[in-house]
Amino acid sequence: MQSFLIETKVKEPIYVKGVPTYDLYLEKYPHMTYLHVNGVRAKELPAGADYQMIEPTLINYFDEVCQPFNGNADIDVEDGTYLPVSIQVNGKHVFQIERQATTFIMNTELSLNDIKNLSSKIESVFKIKIIPLLKRVGLYG
Amino acid sequence: MVRWELTKFKVEKTTENILSSVLTFEAKIVIPETRKAVVVVYDGRQFTAGGSELKPDYFTYEIRPKLETLLQSSLIRELSTHSRKAEYLRGFSLTKISVYPEGTFANLRYTYNDKFLEFGSVLVIPPYKGWDKLCKVPLTVETNAVSNTKSFYEMLTEICRSAVRVYVDVENVNEILKIILQKIGV
Repeated sequence: MQSFLIETKVKEPIYVKGVPTYDLYLEKYPHMTYLHVNGVRAKELPAGADYQMIEPTLINYFDEVCQPFNGNADIDVEDGTYLPVSIQVNGKHVFQIERQATTFIMNTELSLNDIKNLSSKIESVFKIKIIPLLKRVGLYG
Repeated sequence: MVRWELTKFKVEKTTENILSSVLTFEAKIVIPETRKAVVVVYDGRQFTAGGSELKPDYFTYEIRPKLETLLQSSLIRELSTHSRKAEYLRGFSLTKISVYPEGTFANLRYTYNDKFLEFGSVLVIPPYKGWDKLCKVPLTVETNAVSNTKSFYEMLTEICRSAVRVYVDVENVNEILKIILQKIGV
């Protein structure tokens, strides 16, 4: 896993550059091992020590999500359900769910068995590992 | 045997009330060598092939029960759980039919009222060797029966849960075509 971006809403604001902020986006940039919150390195924020402590574990969890894809994969996960809605490998879509008006359309090069296995793995890593970890340090509502 | 290609297969049942429902069926078979197309139609009263009426017995005893079975699919039952209206239509059809050296592929489209579920490409003629092949091959899936991503994923699970039934449906399509081809002498 090179990078990730996850948007969260928190109940208690995080002070980013002194501004109380509820809408957060957590990022890890390519080739960096640090967590950023709204563009600011996490350890520089008021509860920075807590955020810094979870960085390696969090990055390991995202690695786990990407583990089935050896190549350069880009995975979009739906907010709330943590189900994948798009997977690109080496810049090419191998799986995509689109909504056009009232119709859901899924195009894929994967089998339904592969999709079921991947989606349950991604969903469980988010629900059981990533979200509780972020909640523990107040980075998720 | 003359080479033939299927270009249309559609069965529908419209229901006005508990006592009144009409089954209709249409299939189109093309003979590439002669560029001849035979359209087989049952309009609820007459069973015709290429405009000529066939003996009603063929339809009543051999084809109709198989068509009715297609309309009893567990996937149509699943669609019915997403419709709030009383039943007025159920259907099964093949769409996007394409012929490749390994056989005829098509999307299977199941309909209940205004709800539909379509997936493919599925090898229809000849059928896959084994019911479990369905969920091991890439399939596009399209439906208007669900309202969110989670329900869409549940629909994917339902397709795999119904894989045996889908296999039976495809076998039925082949049986129906076999009977029709015998009757029209292809």
